Amino acid sequence: MTFVLASQLPVLIAVLVLGTVAKVITVSSGGEPGSFSKLGPAVLVPARMQGPALLGCALGELVLATGLLLTAHPIFRWGAVAFFALSTYVLLELRRRRPDAGCGCFGEISAAPVGRRSVGRTIVLTGMAGMAVWAEVPGVAVFADPPWPLIAAGLVALAVMSPEIEELIDRVRYRAPCEQRPAPAESVMLSRLRASGAWRAHRDQLTTTDPYDSWRELCWRFFVFRNQDRDDVVFAVYLSGRRPAVRVAVVSGEDSDALPVYTPVSA
Amino acid sequence: MAYPSIERRRVLAAAALGREVGVPGPDPGSGDPLHAVTGTILDVSPHLMTIERPDGRTDRLIIAPWATIWRGAEVTPADLPVGARVIMRTSRERKVVERVWADIVRITGTILSVEGRKDLVVELHCGPHRGRRTVVIPYRATGRLQVRHPQLEPGYLFDAIGIRQDGTTLALLPATSQPTYPARAVPPAPPAYAGVQPRISGTATWSDAFDEEERGLAYPMLERADAACPDAGVSCAGLPYLALGSLLQIRNSCTDRTANLPIVTCGCVAGRFCDRCVECGTSERGRIVELSPSSYIELGGELVKGCFNVQIGLG
Repeated sequence: MTFVLASQLPVLIAVLVLGTVAKVITVSSGGEPGSFSKLGPAVLVPARMQGPALLGCALGELVLATGLLLTAHPIFRWGAVAFFALSTYVLLELRRRRPDAGCGCFGEISAAPVGRRSVGRTIVLTGMAGMAVWAEVPGVAVFADPPWPLIAAGLVALAVMSPEIEELIDRVRYRAPCEQRPAPAESVMLSRLRASGAWRAHRDQLTTTDPYDSWRELCWRFFVFRNQDRDDVVFAVYLSGRRPAVRVAVVSGEDSDALPVYTPVSA
Repeated sequence: MAYPSIERRRVLAAAALGREVGVPGPDPGSGDPLHAVTGTILDVSPHLMTIERPDGRTDRLIIAPWATIWRGAEVTPADLPVGARVIMRTSRERKVVERVWADIVRITGTILSVEGRKDLVVELHCGPHRGRRTVVIPYRATGRLQVRHPQLEPGYLFDAIGIRQDGTTLALLPATSQPTYPARAVPPAPPAYAGVQPRISGTATWSDAFDEEERGLAYPMLERADAACPDAGVSCAGLPYLALGSLLQIRNSCTDRTANLPIVTCGCVAGRFCDRCVECGTSERGRIVELSPSSYIELGGELVKGCFNVQIGLG
């Protein structure tokens, strides 16, 4: 019996961890407090508290997930039941007071207005958490010997009730072209450049390995270095892909005539 | 990171990608070129004006009989005080003045505070590079401004045209209809479809925060770390990321004039305006470039109207 009761623990832990990660990413990448204005319970608190409220929720989820994973203590089991029951209430309240707001359960992906499916999902999760109350094993034990069919059934039930999955599919289908997407950080692009063949071919001629200028234009990031003849060596690194295309040119320091030494080089 | 020379970037990028280096300036095919001239009035008579240019030269210009002069309202040459700062549209090799705007300012930013009962004193945040500005809305202009700016409250956007008088900035005309959302809640861009748009349509405005006689523009979609501008990269128009120094080809859809202009600064406030320009037909929503006054005039724009419709492409 314990086997069945504990079967949904992995699902619960996975949902809680996903929720934490998605919320933290939303808060850290958002930067624009206005963008939280359509997200979940955060709309019910004043604007300056919205980021902290979302992070507080994420922290609570992480504590519950850790507790469910490591112990069988009733405080975490009942805590999870209370958390999902409260979420159900909050979503119903949100639906009544702010029909335009998304549930924010998984950060900014959950921006679609709260519907029956989101509410149904928290009810199912409350039920799963309720089952786990009487399971006397910690989550780790279930992960060690997973009851696959029951886990799969739980996941399918949740997937059916998750509007986020459709949103994810839409985002992949209608992905913005690369010139409109935010780029990886400059340091990431610099390490990709340093892993390329073009870099190895020119490295020995450079005076320093740190660029003196760098900028992003459309799908390319440019790095400029000085070589020992006081010429500029400019590398253009394509923004997408782990081993991106790299182009390089040496431009004489005085005049603007380019001396392209390489035809397109793929790293 | 220091910017050794932003113009150099264009040469280096062109060399690396094997494309041609664009040349800044008006397109020769746009007809008789217009020239913007700025200066300070030394002397003015009904038909002749003497000004001191920013580089210290003195210039005498003929005021055309059809010329219009604006200083808060349409005025005559005799109303222009000595010492007024003027920006003019000229033709015939910078000799004949067709339009004069005296002491004109444009105040664009986010409202920080509004005080006063008759004359309103508005404090604005004009972006990280431009800092704060305090403007006075004289009582006679409050109705006109509030009709287009119904939410004169902290956190909302403000955009007006006015004059500088005795060291005070007066806002006299609304430059747009105020966006209905707070400045920090700019609507997202419409979903983009893969594939490069060769040209983007939208609104061009001007700003007085450029150097005198500078030709260039402010563009909202820059990488925050590159431009050292924490508010950049916001626009509701679906713009591609570009860099300081990139050359844009700007075509004024109203006058059909085209010019290549470099991006010289970050247009983080312009990017927050998701409005339309109704100058000649309704534009797509979103301000895509903010031009320096000289560039705006040379593309055929009227400073008092505040915007025109443009198409931009990479120069």
